[in-house]
Amino acid sequence: MTDAHRALVMEESRDPHEVAQAQAQAARLARNAAWLQAHAADIYPRYRGQHICIAGEELFVAATPDEAWALATAAHSDDDGRFLYYIPVEAVARIYVY
Amino acid sequence: MRPVLWGQIRTGTGGWVAVPFLVDTGADRTVFSAGVLGLLHLAPLATSERLGGLGGIVSSVVVDTQVRFPQVDGGPVTVRGFYAAVTVREALDMSVLGRDITGLFTVIVDQPGQVVCLLGQRHRYRIESF
Repeated sequence: MTDAHRALVMEESRDPHEVAQAQAQAARLARNAAWLQAHAADIYPRYRGQHICIAGEELFVAATPDEAWALATAAHSDDDGRFLYYIPVEAVARIYVY
Repeated sequence: MRPVLWGQIRTGTGGWVAVPFLVDTGADRTVFSAGVLGLLHLAPLATSERLGGLGGIVSSVVVDTQVRFPQVDGGPVTVRGFYAAVTVREALDMSVLGRDITGLFTVIVDQPGQVVCLLGQRHRYRIESF
């Protein structure tokens, strides 16, 4: 990547429509995230190596991220706060350095 | 509790996909996971990049997009630019928020208080003793 590619530009939106859309999506995301946190102790051991998608405060599980996303989208097409998560096969300490 | 910030990434079709980001103060760059890359439907740039970590060196692609974070009081903050993404699922289980973005903010990771946030220009923190 060249130096030109590395430059990031930050801006804050004040457009009312965009603000409303972003806040609504963030609220739906927050509900799904809270649901996952509340059920993580049950979900993680059961679905290691699987891709999960949380939508409508429901769990969707598949072998690939595309499948998990498709399942969640089919069930909750209006929930743009859905998100993917991969549960690693092994429960080990993780060190990320990139 | 892992330090996770919830953001959104702009897709190739003009929408926004919700994404959890692991706040990694040791990461030089923000990197998208392969699962997230698949959702974005973005054409990778012709260039590519090698990324180093505990697992060794991995190849990545580069995409031109936007990462957006909601604000408590105000409109979303969007960071436009070129981002790396791994293409192998096992390389990253979660997208990583690196210092290319976090360096624009004050980062708070308070595990006992369960607070993970980015402070911008309109916010400050104060350290007190009891």
